[in-house]
Amino acid sequence: MKIMPCPLNGPRNISEFVHGGEVRDMPNPTTCTDREWAEYVFYSDNQAGIVTEWWLHAASGYWFIAERHTVTDEIIRTYDPSEIFNQRVEFSDETTAKEVGA
Amino acid sequence: MSATSPESLSKRSFVYRQLAGASFRDIAGGAMATGVAEGNNNRSQAEQSALLDLSVLPRTGFRGLTAAAHLQAAGLPIPARPNQASVTGSGELVLRLSQKEFWLLGALSDSGAGVDALNQRGLPAADCYSLYCQDSHAWLALTGAHLPATLAKVCGVDLREASFPLGSIAQTSVARVNVVIVHHQLAGVPCFSILCDSAAAEYLWESLLDAMGEFGGEVIGSNALL
Amino acid sequence: MSSMTRLKAPMGLLIDRDQPLSFSFDGKQYQGFEGDSIASALAGNERWLLSRSFKYHRPRGPLTMAGQDANTLIQLDKEPNVLADRELAVAGAQVQGQNYNGSLDNDRDAVLGHFSRFMPVGFYYRCFFKPLGAWHRWEGMIRKKAGLGVLDLDFKPEYYDKAYLFHDVVVVGSGPAGLSAALKAAEAGASVLLVEEQPILGGSLTYNRFDLDGKQADALRADLLARVEQHANIEVLTRATCNAWFADNYLPVIQGKRMYKVRAKECIVASGSFEQHVVFRNNDLPGVMMSSAATRLMKHYAVKPGNQAVVLTGNDDGYLSALELLDQGITVAAVVDMRDGPDSEALAASVLARGVQIFNGHTVYEAIPTKGNKHVKAVDIRQITGQGKVADSGETISCDLLCMSAGYMPVYQLLCQAGGQLRYDDSAAEFSLSKLPEHLRIAGSVNGIHTLEAVVADGERAAAEALLALELSTEQPQAVSCERRVNFDWPIFSHPKGKDFVDFDEDLQAKDIVNATRLGYRDVQLVKRFSTVGMGPSQGRHSALPTARLVANSTDRTVTETGVTTARPPFSPEKLAHVAGRIFDPYRRTAMHHRHLEMGAKMMPAGNWQRPAFYGNPDDRDALMQAEAEHVRNKVGVIDVSTLGGIELRGPDSAEFMNRIFTFAFLKQPVGRTRYAVLTNEHGVVIDDGVSCRLADEHFYVTATTSGVERVYREMMKWNAQWRLDVDITNVTSAFAAVNLAGPDARKVLEKLATDVDLSPEGFPYLAYREGSVAGIPSRLLRVGFVGELGYEIHVPARFGEALWDALQEAGKEFDLRPFGVETQRLLRLEKGHVIVSQDTDGMSHPGELSLEWAVSRKKPFFVGRRSVDIVMAQPQTRKLVGFTLPADTKKPEEGHLVLQGEDISGNVTSCEYSSAVGSIIGLAYVGIQQAEVGSQFPIRVDGGDIVNATVVDLPFFDPDNQRQAL
Repeated sequence: MKIMPCPLNGPRNISEFVHGGEVRDMPNPTTCTDREWAEYVFYSDNQAGIVTEWWLHAASGYWFIAERHTVTDEIIRTYDPSEIFNQRVEFSDETTAKEVGA
Repeated sequence: MSATSPESLSKRSFVYRQLAGASFRDIAGGAMATGVAEGNNNRSQAEQSALLDLSVLPRTGFRGLTAAAHLQAAGLPIPARPNQASVTGSGELVLRLSQKEFWLLGALSDSGAGVDALNQRGLPAADCYSLYCQDSHAWLALTGAHLPATLAKVCGVDLREASFPLGSIAQTSVARVNVVIVHHQLAGVPCFSILCDSAAAEYLWESLLDAMGEFGGEVIGSNALL
Repeated sequence: MSSMTRLKAPMGLLIDRDQPLSFSFDGKQYQGFEGDSIASALAGNERWLLSRSFKYHRPRGPLTMAGQDANTLIQLDKEPNVLADRELAVAGAQVQGQNYNGSLDNDRDAVLGHFSRFMPVGFYYRCFFKPLGAWHRWEGMIRKKAGLGVLDLDFKPEYYDKAYLFHDVVVVGSGPAGLSAALKAAEAGASVLLVEEQPILGGSLTYNRFDLDGKQADALRADLLARVEQHANIEVLTRATCNAWFADNYLPVIQGKRMYKVRAKECIVASGSFEQHVVFRNNDLPGVMMSSAATRLMKHYAVKPGNQAVVLTGNDDGYLSALELLDQGITVAAVVDMRDGPDSEALAASVLARGVQIFNGHTVYEAIPTKGNKHVKAVDIRQITGQGKVADSGETISCDLLCMSAGYMPVYQLLCQAGGQLRYDDSAAEFSLSKLPEHLRIAGSVNGIHTLEAVVADGERAAAEALLALELSTEQPQAVSCERRVNFDWPIFSHPKGKDFVDFDEDLQAKDIVNATRLGYRDVQLVKRFSTVGMGPSQGRHSALPTARLVANSTDRTVTETGVTTARPPFSPEKLAHVAGRIFDPYRRTAMHHRHLEMGAKMMPAGNWQRPAFYGNPDDRDALMQAEAEHVRNKVGVIDVSTLGGIELRGPDSAEFMNRIFTFAFLKQPVGRTRYAVLTNEHGVVIDDGVSCRLADEHFYVTATTSGVERVYREMMKWNAQWRLDVDITNVTSAFAAVNLAGPDARKVLEKLATDVDLSPEGFPYLAYREGSVAGIPSRLLRVGFVGELGYEIHVPARFGEALWDALQEAGKEFDLRPFGVETQRLLRLEKGHVIVSQDTDGMSHPGELSLEWAVSRKKPFFVGRRSVDIVMAQPQTRKLVGFTLPADTKKPEEGHLVLQGEDISGNVTSCEYSSAVGSIIGLAYVGIQQAEVGSQFPIRVDGGDIVNATVVDLPFFDPDNQRQAL
C-alpha cells in the first residue's frame, strides 16, 4: 500500500486518506460564461504528469495539498493549503469578485 | 456506603454494559469501574496486558488561535508540536492535536478535578472554542508490556517505542475506527490511551479485547492501578 | 520399516527420528517422522506416485520437493489442493490423491485417455470464444473433470487474522545472501525481519553442495546461523511466505493462520532461483526430478531418492549432485552433460574417479517407463547434434532416478510485481533484473550471482546499500560480479511421439507451444492465454523459460525480444481466509441502543449505525408500523434520532459561512429560531439537508442526514481551507444523543420534565429553538415538524442519552408514550410529503425538481452550486418529483419501479407505502414534466410487469394546512 506523507501526521497508509479532487481555480461565478462554468464543474484534466490535488487525512480531519505524478505514482510534495490559499475570499454581486485561489 | 451502579447516575460510560458485575465508584457524576467481576484486579495484570474504561473521567478541549494561551494561563504545559502530549504535575495529559487544537484529559488520582478547574475559567475574548470530547469520544486505556504488538493487529501505524516514544500522539484508524492514541504512563504502567468515536466504543472495546487475547489481556478496574 | 531405509545423520535436518508417526495415504498406512512433509514420508516408504496430471492423468511424483510444482497436490480430510512436499505429515492424518477415476494407482481415465481427446491446446480459449454457446455445451463435463479436490461443505470457519510488522529492513529468503544481508544490516543497528519459506534457515546451504568435499555449506551455515540467532535486531519468520510486493515495501507475509502486513523502509529480496527442468519425452515420470529435489530429499529428510541414478546436467552443479548421491550410497550410473564438457576439470575427475561414466555433449532423449508409466526404469541417451537435435541412436542405461539440472531461473515474481524488468542475455543464457524501485534491492542468485563467496558478498553489498539509504552507515557498497555460468541455452529435445512436457501442471508438450505460434500467437502473453501455459499452480516457475525459448525459436526471435511471461500476486496460492481473516466492520450504536433491544426493536443498518426499524416481531412489520404511526398521530411517540448529523459553526464569520454553504439565506436568521437548510454541490445537485439552529449571533448548530454528515463536514472544511473565513467547524454528531418526541400529547410529556422552559405555543412556537434542562439534563430543544405533529427534538450530550430515554419513558407512561422506529418515521414524513435526501433524490436532482425553490435564496451573491442551479433552472425542466396516490387494494409499487410515458421511461418511484391516515397507497415519484400536473394519471410498472395508474396529488397527503405541527 502506498504511503502518503501527511504534513500534520507524517507518513501514513494511503487508506487513511480521502482524495478530494484536483486543486483548480473557480472562475468568477457571477461573470463567467455558462460554458466556462460547465468546464470548471465537469471537466478534469487527467493529465499524465504532476497533478496538484486535495487530500484529507480522515482521522484528524485535516485537508492538505499533494503534488503527485500520475505516471510514476510518486508523491512529490505535500503541504498545508495555506501555502496557496492565504487570503480571505470574498464573493459579491460585483463583477470584480476575486477568483478563488487566484 | 451504598453501591454505585452505572444506571443510578445520569452520566453513563459508552461501554458500561461491557463491565457487567464490576464494582463502581462515582467520578464526576458517572460510574467508573474500580474492580471487575472476574479476572485479575491487580497491577500485574495491568503490567502484562489490560483494558480499562476511563470514559467517565473528565476531559475537555479547545481550538482556536488563542487556545494555547488559554491553557497556558491556567498553568498547563503546552506541547511544542502537534501530535505530542505533555503531563501536568497533577497527572493530567495535555494533548496537542494540531497547531491550534488542545485536549486536556483528567487525572485518575483526583477524579479529573483539574479539568473542572479549567472549564471554570472564562474563555479568551476571541478565537477559542470549547470542544465536546467528553461526549464525542470514549476513553479506553490499554496498558502493559505488549502495546505495540497488540495495536499492530488493528492499526497500520508503527507504534514501537523507537518511532512512538512516550508523549507521542497518533491520530489514526484502529480497527477502521478513527482514534487518537496517546502514549503515556498510568500509575507507572505503559499505557496507550485510545480516544474513539463514542458511538463506536462498544465495537472498539470488543476489537481490542480480541487483539489482546494472545497476550493474556483482560479487563481491569481502576483499583488495579492504585 | 521406513526407519530402516532412511539415511544416517547428518542427513535429515528437518526430521526428528525419535518421533515416529503414521498416517494413511489412499487408504494405506505409512510411517514417517515428526518434521517429514507428506511427500518425504511417502518417499521414505518408496511411494513415489502422488498425483495424476490434469489432462492426461499421468502418474506424477515429487519434482522440486520445495512446494514449487503441482505434482504433489493432494487432498487432506477437509482441505483440497494441498502441496504434499510442504504440508507436514501429521499422525493419524487421512490423505488422498486427487484427480483420478478409480484409484490413484489405477486411473481409468489414464488408460483410456478419453478426457484429453476433447482438450486440444487452446480448448478453453476456443470454447469461450466461439461458436456462441459452445461453453454451455462443455461446461458440465469441464466442471466435473476440471476440479481437482473435494471441498468440505460442513467446514467450520477458523480464526485467521492479520498483524502489521514494522522493520527498517526486511530480507526475503534466508539463503547465504539473505543471511549475510540480514547480519550486516542488523550489526549496523537496523531492525531486520528475515522471512524464510522453509522450516529452517539457510536456503541452498541446507541442501546444495558447493564444493568437492561437501563441507563448505555446512560450515558457512553454522557460522551465519549462530550469529543471526543471537542477534537482538533480527526477527526471524520461518515457514512464512512473502506472497507479494506492493508499493512502498508493503509485503504480505503468510505464516500459519496469520497474514503479516510487513512495512519496511528497505527491502532486500534474496529469493534465490528455481532449478529448471529439461524437456524430453517422459520427463514427467515419477523418479525424474530436479537435482535439488534429490538433494533436498537426502539432506532435509534422509530419504534416498533412488538406488541407481543418472544425472542430466547443463552446469557443474550436476557433478556436485552426483558426488552427493555417491556419498549417500546411491549408485550413479552416468552424468550426462549437455555441454561439451564441465567447467571444472577437478570435478569431472572426482566423479570419474568414483566410477561414474560421463557423457559430454549428450542428453537424455527419452525416459523409459515401467508399466503404466509409474516410474522411470531407464533412459535413452543420445548425442546432441544441433540445437534440440540428437543422434539417431544412443545408449540405454537403467536407472530409477533421473536428476535434472538445466540451469536456474531467478525467483523474480516479487520483483516483477514491483515493476522490475527481467532481461535475458541470449548469448550467455543469463537473466538480469533491472528497473527496480527505490528501497528495493536484490542479492544472491536472484541477482545472477552463483558462486558462494560472491553470493555472501552480494548480500553484504545489498545491506550496505540499504544502510546507506537508512543513514545508518556511510560505507560505500562494493559491486559484486560473478562470471560463473549455470544455464544451458537449449535444454529442449522434442520427440516425435510427444509427452515432452514444457508445463507439468497443464500437461503441455513442446509441440503445443510451437503450434500456438503457428496459429499466429507470437506474443508470449498471448501464447499463455491461448495454451494456458504457466496458468497452473506453479505459475510458470518451470514453464516460462522453455515457453519463451520455444516461442522465440519458432518466430525467429531471441528470448530478449519475446520476453518472459510476468507474474502477478500472489506468489503462491493463498487461502481466502488469509485475505478475509479478522475483517473489521465497525458499527455505531447510539446511547439508547440497548434500550431499543430491551423494548423488542427490530434493528436495521443506517450507514454504519444501527437503528430501530420498528418495535416487535419482524413478521408483523406492516401492522406494527401502521400501529406506531397511528399512535404518533393520535397520542405521542418517541424516536431515537441520535444518528442525525450535527455540525457546530462558531465565530464571527459563522453566518457568512452558512450563507455560502447552504442554499437559503442565513445572515438574518434570528437567534432562537430554526431554518431549513439545503445543500447543493457545485453541480447544483441537492446532496443533503438539515435544520439550522442559531444559538447565538456567532453560533450555529446544523443537523445533517445520518449518512451525509461526514461528507457535509468534509466539504465544509475543504471550502474553508480555501475561503479562510473566521469560523470554527466541528462535527458533533457523536457528541449528542437526540430524540424526537412527537404527537398531540408531546407537550404534556415534556412539561413533566422540562420545568425551566416555557413550552406554551407562544413561548416556544413551531420552528423555535430553546435551551433548558430536561430531567435535569442540559438540553437543546428544537420544535420541528418532520412527522407533521406537535414535536420536539431534544438533543443532549451523548453520555446522558440513555438517562434521557429512561426519563421520557417514565414521564410518558400516563400518556401512553410509545417508541417508534425509522420505518414508521419514513411513513409519517411521507404522509407529509417531506423528501429524504438520497432516498427521494439522486445524482441529478436539483432544487427545482424537488419543488424546493422556496429554500433557495437568489438574492445572495454566492452559495456552492449557485451558478449551476441558475443554469439548470433557466432551462426547460424535464422531470419533477410528485406525490401520487393509488387505491389501497392496488398492487403496491416499490422503490425503484419505473414510471412510463408511452414507450419511454420517464421516471421512477422513490418512496411508497400504504397510509392508514390517508386511506390509500401514497408515494413520491419522478415523472416526466408533462405528467406532473395535479389530477393527472401516470403508469407505473410494478413487479411482474403489471401496470398501475397513479394519480398525481398535491402535497402533503395528510393535514394539508400543516395545522397539527404548529399546535
